[in-house]
Amino acid sequence: MLEGAVLARCPNCRNTFSTERTGPQDCPVCGKPLVVPEVATAAPAAAPTSGPEGAPATGEGTPWERRDELGFWTAWGETVAQALFEPGKLFRAARLDRGAAQAGFAVLTAGSFWIVGQLLDRFFLGAQRERLLNALRARGQLSPVLEKILQTTNQNSPRTALLVTLATPVAVFLLVYLSAAVTHAAALLLGQAKRGFAATFAACAYACAPLVLLAIPGCGGFAGAIWTAVLTGVGLKETHRIGAGGAAAAVFAPYLLLCCAICAATALATSAFLRGMPQ
Amino acid sequence: MRCIVRVGAPSVHALGLAAVAAALLSAAALLPLEAPPLALFACPFRGATGFPCLSCGCTHAFAAIAHLHPLAALEANPLGAALALGCAAHVLWTCLRLCGLPYAPAAPRLTRRLRFSAAALLAANWAFVALRGGP
Repeated sequence: MLEGAVLARCPNCRNTFSTERTGPQDCPVCGKPLVVPEVATAAPAAAPTSGPEGAPATGEGTPWERRDELGFWTAWGETVAQALFEPGKLFRAARLDRGAAQAGFAVLTAGSFWIVGQLLDRFFLGAQRERLLNALRARGQLSPVLEKILQTTNQNSPRTALLVTLATPVAVFLLVYLSAAVTHAAALLLGQAKRGFAATFAACAYACAPLVLLAIPGCGGFAGAIWTAVLTGVGLKETHRIGAGGAAAAVFAPYLLLCCAICAATALATSAFLRGMPQ
Repeated sequence: MRCIVRVGAPSVHALGLAAVAAALLSAAALLPLEAPPLALFACPFRGATGFPCLSCGCTHAFAAIAHLHPLAALEANPLGAALALGCAAHVLWTCLRLCGLPYAPAAPRLTRRLRFSAAALLAANWAFVALRGGP
């Protein structure tokens, strides 16, 4: 028995927790059995630790997590390049105690390129969208919902640009956490969440790297979204140390079962496209 | 519910998830259901088959919880009602942690039985929503 509570680290999920006794017990985070040794003879199995976010390093850290030594832009560029072309290496190196840095990477990468993409999209494709809107309106084939969507995406003013610039990083932050929460719930249900939410979040955050394609008006968002979904699967496989099938199931199950909004957006876009085609 | 002692402020992930939960509940409380943007979320599964999908009614459930109508939320979608209540509880608990509460709820051990029960509950939720809102 310890004199007071100490922090211990689970060797399975790498989360820290507070305990007042030594010996065999279950990790309160992942539920796996572990042994808390006496503090004086702390063994690697469940070593006392400290740190703001609990989980310790498992790799040396991604370039983004070592940006203090590499430099900000070099670290960002190397992280994006690794995510796109050597994802396994990147996800294996990710540290689970760097949640804030990972969220920052996702917001910087997806947010800034999404802002550029939205502004370019309004500038280059605005006239084309306006013509489509007018053609559909003239034929009486435009539903009020679709008209509202097209009008909203077609607004191009300094006020809109400011609103887009301010709202996009917040939206990215919320979407990354929402995506991680839904993916983690699916992974839990399928028994694939071996190392806690921090591991799922690391996968989802670094999987935002292909969203640099959002800067390409038109098809960039579609390509980026598919690449991001695939990278999330690769990331889950590496950060949770699970099989490829389990990782793929955890990533795609929510899209199949829950994400009505994504399906709705796709259906609306398809419907708009089909209605715009000549009969 | 079993609690564990947590030292220091909530983790960045707890704060991030609380921000998402607060944003969802705020949107459900403030935005009208029958006008864009919430009215734009049409379900293609229902459009194609006539039956609601697993998450149909979740927006209404969140709105009902945000307006303190728990029965209406359960009627709209029990899963949505549970998620909305979970969001509210997480926001409240995170605020208490920020104010110095040293306890956090311990995660239950995720046994095979618990996972199968969760899957069965999801299926039951879908059956309930389909029976209520089907053609």
